[in-house]
Amino acid sequence: MKIRDMRKALDDRQVSAAELAKAYLDKIKQYDGKIQSYITVTEDIALKQAEKAQSVIDKGESKALTGIPVAVKDNICTEGVKTTCASKMLENFIPPYNATVMEKLDAENIVMLGKTSMDEFAMGGSTQTSAFAKTKNPYDLGCVPGGSSGGSAAAVAAGLAPVALGTDTGGSIRQPAAFCGVTGIKPTYSRVSRFGLVAFASSLDQIGSIGKDAHDCAILLNEICGYDPHDGTSSKNAVPDFTAEIGESVKGMKFALPKEFFCDGIDEDVKTAVLKAADEYKAMGAEIVECSMPSLKYAVPCYYLLACAEAASNLSRYDGIKYGHRVSKADSYEELVIKSRSEGFGEEVKRRILLGNYCLSSGYYDAYYRKALALRQLIRQEYNDIFDKCDVILTPTTPSVAYSPEKTSDPVQMYQADICTVTVNIAGLPAISTPCGYDKKGMPIGMSVIGRKFDEATIIKVADAYEKGFTPVAPKL
Amino acid sequence: MDLDMVKYLAELSKLEYSEGELAKTANEMTDIIDLMDTVKEINITYDDLKDNHDVYLNDLREDVQAESMPTSKVLQNAVNTNNCFVVPKVVE
Repeated sequence: MKIRDMRKALDDRQVSAAELAKAYLDKIKQYDGKIQSYITVTEDIALKQAEKAQSVIDKGESKALTGIPVAVKDNICTEGVKTTCASKMLENFIPPYNATVMEKLDAENIVMLGKTSMDEFAMGGSTQTSAFAKTKNPYDLGCVPGGSSGGSAAAVAAGLAPVALGTDTGGSIRQPAAFCGVTGIKPTYSRVSRFGLVAFASSLDQIGSIGKDAHDCAILLNEICGYDPHDGTSSKNAVPDFTAEIGESVKGMKFALPKEFFCDGIDEDVKTAVLKAADEYKAMGAEIVECSMPSLKYAVPCYYLLACAEAASNLSRYDGIKYGHRVSKADSYEELVIKSRSEGFGEEVKRRILLGNYCLSSGYYDAYYRKALALRQLIRQEYNDIFDKCDVILTPTTPSVAYSPEKTSDPVQMYQADICTVTVNIAGLPAISTPCGYDKKGMPIGMSVIGRKFDEATIIKVADAYEKGFTPVAPKL
Repeated sequence: MDLDMVKYLAELSKLEYSEGELAKTANEMTDIIDLMDTVKEINITYDDLKDNHDVYLNDLREDVQAESMPTSKVLQNAVNTNNCFVVPKVVE
């Protein structure tokens, strides 16, 4: 059931908020043992919130999300509820405050089902670096769900949540959405406050929504955007209704297909599905424009240099003193910090801290970090050039469909798999991934629609136009 | 990347590795740096004046006094407390 149908059912008293919450909680109990999409299920909180939501509905004062169950990625601070970032470092961390997005959702009287698993500190594309729940793909339990918001995407795909919050630093909403056959949107950088989001790479991180389709994603996105004085990078731009353009024609729109996104490294099944979708847009009256983005060759190293440099700085706050893992015994301050960090962080997080400190070190700063900053400017310019001539850009979301966890052991191979998503974060653009087909084994394929800054409404319209003619295949649980 | 560089980075990062982990990490970091070296192929320069036109970092909040978070909440996640953050004794 879509959340807009739930809204009607709740307001028409066909179902109560408690019944809806219980239905999802029961399904979580039944299926999450094998999918492992949640780190923490907040049953008691959900039932209390459902009771409160019902009283609001009964007064005829319901808002868009009143009584709607929502899953929340475990790097978003929830007051009084453990927020682990899927790391041993924050295993027992209970935030003393809410992230701004949670304040906004609480004001809507949502029902929080729980906190979903992820790659540790959002560093990964498989959810296999999670210290607590290595989430499985609902379409094939032998495959990864993608990441880092793998728990959120798998929960939505398996029907264990109707919508979920995710975060996207280099593709962490869009890639798991593609692997799990659901829709996910990464809004423009600065659209959604990052206050209370555990920082990974502050110039790239962004909170967004994952749902069964673009319309549901837009409804959730509507409620979390907006200026926040607690986030110095938060935008003061007006927030439109992201559902407003849904249903409008794409006729006359220009769709850019940068040839580098369809090169040899992309699986044939993926290429074929995305190009077929382009043909369908053409049949709807859109014009397909071939274009080029030569800087894509440098996108992955550019992204990892920027992201890891910021991560090395952001994660220096974990010293075992104010919060986070602390060793039981240390004879000096220095030993306390080193041992707490060494025990608390997992291998991938440590690798990224090392890489970040390497590229920021004297003698390497100009060759790596400053070059990555220059490449960021080049990538932004190339996007601007494309948007001078076109309205949206269409690309594959991932080079392949979901794979087995064994394939995640090589860090370089994992980094290279981010090729289709990282440039959007580097340029701060909005992008949405939606299912556009299935490979021969029935694994979902996702395509991405990238838009101009602050033009989420257009990419939501474009994704919705395709979804209306697409029949999704649900996973067999 | 040689072992001395990994040891140096570990020191900067406040991390420690066993001898076995050091060798494995050196190999992994070598492969990662090879990938990062791709950026050296292109000859471009960062323009300091061009960035962040649309992010107004100087748009600061009004300096208004507001209620602070209670000490008990600030300390609730610290392992060792005595109404303050406690660290091992430091003698310089």
